Amino acid sequence: MRKNSDKNAYNAGTRLDELLSSFIDGELTADKQAEVEGLIAGDAKIAQRLRQLQTCQMLVASLPRAEAPARVLEGVRTSLAEKSTSDEWGTQKRHPRIRRVLAAAAMIGLAAVLVAVVHTIAPPAPTEQPFAVEGGRPSEATERPGGGFSVAAPHAFSGRLELKASDLVAVSASVNRAIEDINLSQAISPARRQDRRVYSLSCSREDLKSLLADLEHVWPELDSARLSVNTEVFGEQIVVDAVTTEQITQIVDQNDLGRRTEIAKDFAALNDMAALLPGRAIASAIEGQSKNLMHPLRVPKPALAEREDPTGRSPSQPEDKETVHLTIVVSW
Amino acid sequence: MTEAANVDVWRQGAARRSSSIDDGLLIEQCRQGDSAAIERLVLRYQNRIYNVVLKICADPDDAAELTQETFVKIIENLSRFEGRSSFYTWAFRIAVNLTLNYCQRNAKLVVRSLDSEEEPYNHQATHALKELLSDDRSPDPAAMAQNKEVYEIALKALMKLDDAQRAVLVLRDIEGMSYARIAEVLGIELGTVRSRLSRARTKLRDILEAILS
Repeated sequence: MRKNSDKNAYNAGTRLDELLSSFIDGELTADKQAEVEGLIAGDAKIAQRLRQLQTCQMLVASLPRAEAPARVLEGVRTSLAEKSTSDEWGTQKRHPRIRRVLAAAAMIGLAAVLVAVVHTIAPPAPTEQPFAVEGGRPSEATERPGGGFSVAAPHAFSGRLELKASDLVAVSASVNRAIEDINLSQAISPARRQDRRVYSLSCSREDLKSLLADLEHVWPELDSARLSVNTEVFGEQIVVDAVTTEQITQIVDQNDLGRRTEIAKDFAALNDMAALLPGRAIASAIEGQSKNLMHPLRVPKPALAEREDPTGRSPSQPEDKETVHLTIVVSW
Repeated sequence: MTEAANVDVWRQGAARRSSSIDDGLLIEQCRQGDSAAIERLVLRYQNRIYNVVLKICADPDDAAELTQETFVKIIENLSRFEGRSSFYTWAFRIAVNLTLNYCQRNAKLVVRSLDSEEEPYNHQATHALKELLSDDRSPDPAAMAQNKEVYEIALKALMKLDDAQRAVLVLRDIEGMSYARIAEVLGIELGTVRSRLSRARTKLRDILEAILS
């Protein structure tokens, strides 16, 4: 009997709370609203219960609103680009004949691409004249009559580096160490999931290059390394598979968006060709000769023409364009 | 269930209503692969979705990833969006489902981390919160919620609710959705929204009192 009356009281309390809660939210019909108003006016305990629930509601409703970090948009862009790339790959896998034809075409084009790459990385004419960086709109790189380039206002590098390794813990530990070694912990927001580690990095170009240099010893431990370089078109990226730290550094080093895109495309083509060749003969050749091939032909770093402001900005303006963004994803 | 009949309690009423007017056009542009429209769509909703996801899952990094995942899913499935509910409802349904699934997978982890982080709270914050809960004419809850310590206590209390209760509370009290819209987003009956929300508020109050005791 006692049990029943307790249960009834509980149910009545629950029903009352439901009514009061809906009353607070203005989700009652006019009749019910009037009924609750009557209850509140006639019973101090009910009025107190209403205030208790209202306090709770107001506390939650007033919690500060958080804003999405910039990397959300960046991540959406990257994911969409990756998916569109993998879709293309999927199509190729479904059509082996097309793939063979493409491979043959790739073989034929290899020599031409190699020549083009060498030509791009090191123009045949001596480039003693330094690069001049001028203000202006992006993609306004123009060749100067006397050699060298006029590089338009830079668009900061942004992209995503995906490292796959069977020993996720060891590789992540190396990345963490490298980040700490060059004091980049503040510039990074790591995210942890069971199967991967994500590092969203925003730092200066020099810091990124130092990080890459520190990470070079990790490369032999990797199963794959893929760099996706963002272009000026939303969701469109240049994907460089089997990318090396040397290649990333060269891409990051480019001030001009157009030139960066070109170099990324060249590396992408070069690495893809190398992967297609039997026995990876050319790949080994490229890797083996990379010191000879790349170092003497290194792209000249942008330098200032005398008395020119490199960015076209006044000294008081912040150097925001110098900040580069790289999301590093380590997974297995 | 049909589209929510009740008018939602928008925090920024006019601004949001005017932005929702353009959704149809924006979605059409996105369907045609207009990258600028996709960017606008993300920018338009990312803060609201992120805020709701964060209040449900409590971890800023996970919230950022889940928000990103939500938009990728939205954009990939735009062709399947038939407009039977509003885009806003549809987008939040995706976001909340992803978040609740994630919470379910990580339930043990969250409970453990919450238990391990039991630390003494700032005395002033707990005192003010106690006053708030005990006295009818106590400090203004809206002003109090801006206090970082109070925010942390409230968030911790929220995290102690079960996922379904937390979701309904966040959609109502933080996102300001009507009961009908919450029912659509969560795919539950209107009566269930009503009872779940009431139980969530009661339980939240009990949890806060327990934390502060």
